[in-house]
Amino acid sequence: QVSVINTVDTSHEDMIHDAQMDYYGTRLATCSSDRSVKIFDVRNGGQILIADLRGHEGPVWQVAWAHPMYGNILASCSYDRKVIIWKEENGTWEKTYEYTGHDSSVNSVCWAPHDYGLILACGSSDGAISLLSYTGDGQWEVKKISNAHTIGCNAVSWAPAVVPGSLIEQPSGQKPNYIKRFASGGCDNLVKIWKEEDGQWKEEQKLEAHSDWVRDVAWAPSIGLPTSTIASCSQDGRVFIWTCDDASGSSWSPKLLHKFNDVVWHVSWSITANILAVSGGDNKVTLWKESVDGLWACISDVNKGQGGVSAVTEGQQNEQ
Amino acid sequence: DTVPPQVVPGADPSARQLCFAWGPAEVLVCETLFGRAGESRSRAGTAARALTGSVAGAGEGAPSSSRVYVVRRDQDIYIQTLRKLFNESHAIFMGLQRSEEELAGKSRKAQLVQVSKNYRSVIRACMEDMHQAAVSTRDPALQGQYSTQVSILSAMELIWNLCEILFVEAATAGPLLLRLLDWVRLHVCDVDSMVREVLSSESPSKHKLFWNVVDVFVLQGRMDEARHLLSKEASANPTSMNMYKILDDLMKKMPVPSLGNTQTLTELELKWQHWHEECQRYLQDGTFASNPHMESICKILLGDEDAILEKKELMTTWYHFLVTRLLYSHPTVKPMELRFYAQSSMDLFLGGESSPEPLDMILMAAFEFEMHQVIKECSIVLSNWWFVAHLTDLLDHCKLLQSHNLYFGSNMREFLLLEYASGLFSHHSLWQLGVDYFDHCPEYGRVYLELHIERIPLSTERKALKVLRICEQRQMHEQVRSICKIMAMKALRNNRLGSALSWSIRAKDAAFATLISDRFLKDYCERGCFSDLDLIDNLGPSMLLSDRLTFLGKYREFHRLYGEKRFPEAARLLLTLMTAHIAPCSFWMTLLTDALPLLEQKEVIFSAEQTYELMRCLEDLTAGNPDKQKFQDDDVETTKVEMLRLALARNLARVIVKEGTMEGS
Repeated sequence: QVSVINTVDTSHEDMIHDAQMDYYGTRLATCSSDRSVKIFDVRNGGQILIADLRGHEGPVWQVAWAHPMYGNILASCSYDRKVIIWKEENGTWEKTYEYTGHDSSVNSVCWAPHDYGLILACGSSDGAISLLSYTGDGQWEVKKISNAHTIGCNAVSWAPAVVPGSLIEQPSGQKPNYIKRFASGGCDNLVKIWKEEDGQWKEEQKLEAHSDWVRDVAWAPSIGLPTSTIASCSQDGRVFIWTCDDASGSSWSPKLLHKFNDVVWHVSWSITANILAVSGGDNKVTLWKESVDGLWACISDVNKGQGGVSAVTEGQQNEQ
Repeated sequence: DTVPPQVVPGADPSARQLCFAWGPAEVLVCETLFGRAGESRSRAGTAARALTGSVAGAGEGAPSSSRVYVVRRDQDIYIQTLRKLFNESHAIFMGLQRSEEELAGKSRKAQLVQVSKNYRSVIRACMEDMHQAAVSTRDPALQGQYSTQVSILSAMELIWNLCEILFVEAATAGPLLLRLLDWVRLHVCDVDSMVREVLSSESPSKHKLFWNVVDVFVLQGRMDEARHLLSKEASANPTSMNMYKILDDLMKKMPVPSLGNTQTLTELELKWQHWHEECQRYLQDGTFASNPHMESICKILLGDEDAILEKKELMTTWYHFLVTRLLYSHPTVKPMELRFYAQSSMDLFLGGESSPEPLDMILMAAFEFEMHQVIKECSIVLSNWWFVAHLTDLLDHCKLLQSHNLYFGSNMREFLLLEYASGLFSHHSLWQLGVDYFDHCPEYGRVYLELHIERIPLSTERKALKVLRICEQRQMHEQVRSICKIMAMKALRNNRLGSALSWSIRAKDAAFATLISDRFLKDYCERGCFSDLDLIDNLGPSMLLSDRLTFLGKYREFHRLYGEKRFPEAARLLLTLMTAHIAPCSFWMTLLTDALPLLEQKEVIFSAEQTYELMRCLEDLTAGNPDKQKFQDDDVETTKVEMLRLALARNLARVIVKEGTMEGS
């Protein structure tokens, strides 16, 4: 069973497009078509409005919390083509940086693993992906990948930080040799994987399987296995799970999770990557889990599902 | 047919879609309508929606819901009265993990059975607490909740007990029946109040429920108690004395399995056969014909299914019926034969009137020795993982799971433990128990711990230290560093520079240490004194973490030396700070200004060479300074420079004289 433990009345004057908990589940950030971003303290079932952030001039599509080691930082992106980074200083939330380098709506923002520093990836309807890196002293460096997806980019999601090769503790002050990667989904029906090489971002892989716009991508957290997993969902109603077995990241194979009857808008992984949440146009949120035999089972009714009960493969229903 | 979705109260599925986000423990659900403005491919009306800011929805222009629901999956860990269950079972679990694996055979089995009993007594203790809570509360809603919990706990204990008998103890034919009888007696309690009522009445044999109670005793194999009651009836009704004596004798003589090895199964079966035949003869002779109650008892003794089934209400459950049947028709039943009797018992008892409930299916699976089925069904029915995780772990220790040829195998244990422990992490104090469980999951325990422990809110320094200790003990260096950085950032935001510095040293975060050192130095420049002297004075080797930190430490040392009037040492240090480039250029002016009092001392402190060095530093500073313009414009700065030049020149003069006239200082 699930129970609603708190109903936060955000008083947004228009549709809410995104709601995200911070790292510890103590704060909630919401953003809306009413152009505002709001932050609430939700500890112990309460809801105290901490900040009502104005700065966008259009509907705000997504918010993303940075890792707490950088302080209290929130990023937001909007139809107004802007990405704004907000920071809490001395108890108040203020705009700390505004990026206006996109020509069209910015649809998605995602913070990189904290190991890489403070880096934000932004995907826009102008087809470009920009990467904003904090270099210190209030300065941000921008790298842009133009024409990442034709027509537009709808989603970006970072791969978890994995140090290649040895796992010995690095001497202090020295940064390990991370290979930075992220995935993006676009209106060209593609999921793309980008890799940083010599300070430049290059397209590493093109994953083709969808027949319509890719709406969301989500790279699963790592549980120590050498495999990488990405979930993607699309206007075509399909959700694919992509896996790559080798560490070099060269061969990705898709598995169809399910074909829904309507557009699928969001996919997201739980912290330990064992459950995938899918939000669809069919007005439901379904939760999926992979059983040991590799089949994906829908467990959206918690009463009936946990433990790999009925496996649902494409076209089939409850099969024991 | 698909699995029904969760229903979020208040959300209107017809007009909205649901947006979903994972929190570390809870999940967020809010109503939204997907679709980006300005896209020609999106739903009709989206563009209009974005521009006007209102929602088309079902065409009513209804205001959008501005509510975000915070939803939680496992509420059980927040129930106060269950706290004991989680804490004490954790202790039993840990004891089991560390227990002697070298013990073999009987002693190991006895040990495992004891563990099982311990778990059960914890469940019972919890049930008792819950029952007390239910009785003492005035709030009907709470009372309902507690009562539900009591029934759930009771069911759990029922299942666990059966599993203990069949799997852990693996009772063999003979003792098996005795254990099952105990099990039934312990768990079928609906008749207890009736029994009490009759026994405590003045004249039990006259009580209208007298025979019911006798029947209960017979059905549960409680022969002595049945005979005792019957004797009261006999003394009240002398006419049935004869009948009574015979029945009493039969009941007394009934052969039952014994726990000691006093007889073999074959001997028992033989005796039982004889006894059975004797009962048969008496029944057929019509001995009990005039007393239907006694006759029915005799039939029960003969294992007559119909006679037993007539007493359905006294047995209340099909598994009671099963055990009674076995007692009176096949007391030497073997474990593997149970499944047949179980299935037919359930069918006969339910008789097509009602269908089996989840609990029935679980028990049936146990009688069929389908351990995996038991676990699977329990996982589905119960709202949290506590039960299946601990039971499976115990069964795994009994080496029972590995013999099953299913893909889950021993991974089932870890899978369930991971789920259970993950659930604990959302609780502000139970998470500590979760750590131990993860420790005992060899495959994924560590990585799950790494992912979860990062999400524990570090609300107090004490909590942070607790989490750190756990990470350090397990060499989780990344997490240690991450936590220290978070604490350093928090301290810095709250202007607690000393705390921030010690955290960043612990995190070995050079960049942050530099940042904080700069803040300290800035503070010094503004206020003329240092804060957190203790910390800076005792930096030790960690001073080397960053150049700026080293400078801070050394600079403070300079001040200390000066305060202790150890001027030559102070002077030497001051100079080294500049010449060895430990001090940042921006600070040189301050250092040179610090040199002034040393230059003005009565005694000459700086040697000639040192003075030349100082002069050079000053010239370097003023000459190569890009802010030369600023220097020249700023009166204060120019005055300072002038003063320094004068002081240096004077010192030089004095020292030349001194060094010239003395033979060596």
